[in-house]
Amino acid sequence: MIRFLFKGIIRDKNRSLLPVLVISIGVFLTVLGSCWFKGIFSDMIDVNANFSTGHVKIMSRAYADNAGQMPNDLALSEAGQLVEELQTAYPGLEWVQRIHFGGLLDVPDEAGETRGQGMATGWGIDFFSPGTQEPQRMNIPGSIVKGALPARPGEALISHEFAERFGIGIGDTVTLFGSTMYGGMAFANFTVAGAVRFGMRALDRGAIIIDITDAQAALDMADAAGEILGFFRDGRYDGARALQLKTDFNARYESETDEFAPLMLRLNDQNGLEDYLALSESISGIMIFIFVLAMSIVLWNTGLLGGLRRYNEFGIRLAMGEEKKHIYRTLIIESVLIGAIGSVVGTALGLAAALPLQEYGLSFGSAVQGGGIMMPEVFRTRVGPEAFYIGFIPGLVSMVLGNALSGIGIYRRRTAVLFKELSV
Amino acid sequence: MESIIQIEKLTKRFPVGTGEFTALKDINLAFGKGEFTGFVGPSGSGKTTLLNIIGSLDTPTEGEVTVLGHSIAHLTHRQSAKLRNQHLGFIFQTYNLFPVYTVYENVEFALLLQQMPAAERRKAVLDALEWVGLTDKAHSRPAQLSGGEGQRVAIARAMVKRPAIMLADEPTANLDSKNSHHILQTMAQLNKELKTTFLFATHDEKVMAYLRRIISLEDGRVVKDEAMTPQRQPGV
Repeated sequence: MIRFLFKGIIRDKNRSLLPVLVISIGVFLTVLGSCWFKGIFSDMIDVNANFSTGHVKIMSRAYADNAGQMPNDLALSEAGQLVEELQTAYPGLEWVQRIHFGGLLDVPDEAGETRGQGMATGWGIDFFSPGTQEPQRMNIPGSIVKGALPARPGEALISHEFAERFGIGIGDTVTLFGSTMYGGMAFANFTVAGAVRFGMRALDRGAIIIDITDAQAALDMADAAGEILGFFRDGRYDGARALQLKTDFNARYESETDEFAPLMLRLNDQNGLEDYLALSESISGIMIFIFVLAMSIVLWNTGLLGGLRRYNEFGIRLAMGEEKKHIYRTLIIESVLIGAIGSVVGTALGLAAALPLQEYGLSFGSAVQGGGIMMPEVFRTRVGPEAFYIGFIPGLVSMVLGNALSGIGIYRRRTAVLFKELSV
Repeated sequence: MESIIQIEKLTKRFPVGTGEFTALKDINLAFGKGEFTGFVGPSGSGKTTLLNIIGSLDTPTEGEVTVLGHSIAHLTHRQSAKLRNQHLGFIFQTYNLFPVYTVYENVEFALLLQQMPAAERRKAVLDALEWVGLTDKAHSRPAQLSGGEGQRVAIARAMVKRPAIMLADEPTANLDSKNSHHILQTMAQLNKELKTTFLFATHDEKVMAYLRRIISLEDGRVVKDEAMTPQRQPGV
């Protein structure tokens, strides 16, 4: 019987073409949209992880309470030893020290007099250790507009916007004014090695990036770090693993009284990313719901029209002794077949569109400028295993639902008038 | 002759507005195996209603109709569908073939419903097409057939499951004289060879010429029930 129904679907374009088209388009949009949103959310989360939160982050308890103020007076001391302990206890992650600081950048003229000053956010990251991934992690090589990465201590990168505003060139000197770990005034000169533009307003307004040892020296933070970030070695955030890690670490270093005791936070726990992660997890479900709803309505109407067109067919089948329930069931089987065909086509099209976008992405450089949130300029899709099956959910459900609703009319059909109806 | 259809005191009324319309009134009839009988009468005389009830498409308001031992009034929807599926064949004024399927597949459908094994099904379909002389059209679509051929496919579809009773409502109404006789010859031949009971609702003289019993209906009553010597015979 299924082969018989399949022949009918293939031959009767009115029965199959429109529904297959509708489902293919819906499934295509579901697959592409799902990969697209997954990619955007993942990239946003990656950007936040790489620049700010890590997959897990360790701070002193007091620092964690005031993290927004970059309170380096509450930084972790003996950070080198802590990193060694972490590398031993949790080798599945790469552990890095960072110092995040605020300060004033002073731009001197040839006579050494102040030519301009501006507020700056600074990062001290590991530029020089052998095998360091920090510059790549923050996409610094790809963000350099002019100049190069710092090659030796005492060199700095500054934001391109800042450099343009004050006419700072490569090789010029800038002076960082800040505050030491102990509350004193800190100032240090740096030679500008390059200018960077990340495409994120929050970073591009005014930034200085220096090696962490330079930051420790300038801010009097010997063997101290504001933050120690941990990154899973496969580069993918795993919330459950991070939770396990956090629970274990915090239990190990638990201290009610010591405000400098280290505290681990997951990516979820920071910058309101919990909501983004939840949205990222549910975005496929939302997409499916929307397309199931929209396509079901269209396919319901298509089914109703099909029911009218096949009125005589159903009548003759009833007269031949086919039960109403059986006719209804065959309609559902037909809808599964049509839904499967449309889903295969739509998934293939969706993947064909999503895979190149995963590689090359689309640049929304100007559109994402001006926001305060850390967002990448190039939006990429992310094609995961679910992209291969996710479209089948709206494809099959909407077709079956549409036909199930439209097919109810079969149960209202009166056999007593079949002779009259079928004689017209 | 043993009766396969018994009708006793059959009355059928339909609600019309606030009142009722009596379509059949106090009908008493019996039909034996292998009959070739027609209900004749003007429009509204109750011919089709009678076929509907015998065909288990409708139920009596009063009285008893028994078909092959089944009381029509007491059948569930499922049981009446099963009765139609296994023992009754229908031929309509219009052929009502499935347009997207071939002649072979149209005929095969009745057997698919019975879940007949494929090899047996194939033989039965080819036999049925041979009866109606359409073996060479097995792979044609309904749109490629003439009116007469379409009706012959409809007969093959109804006959393929070898029903005990065939019910035909004005089967020649859409056919010209030549095709009508061809169709009636085919049905008379099947009646003769397979002993299938044929019941017609008709007011076509050409059909009446083949009938061996004519039951005249008027205003829902049987006014005449007479055995006939058919003017036309199969193969003549």
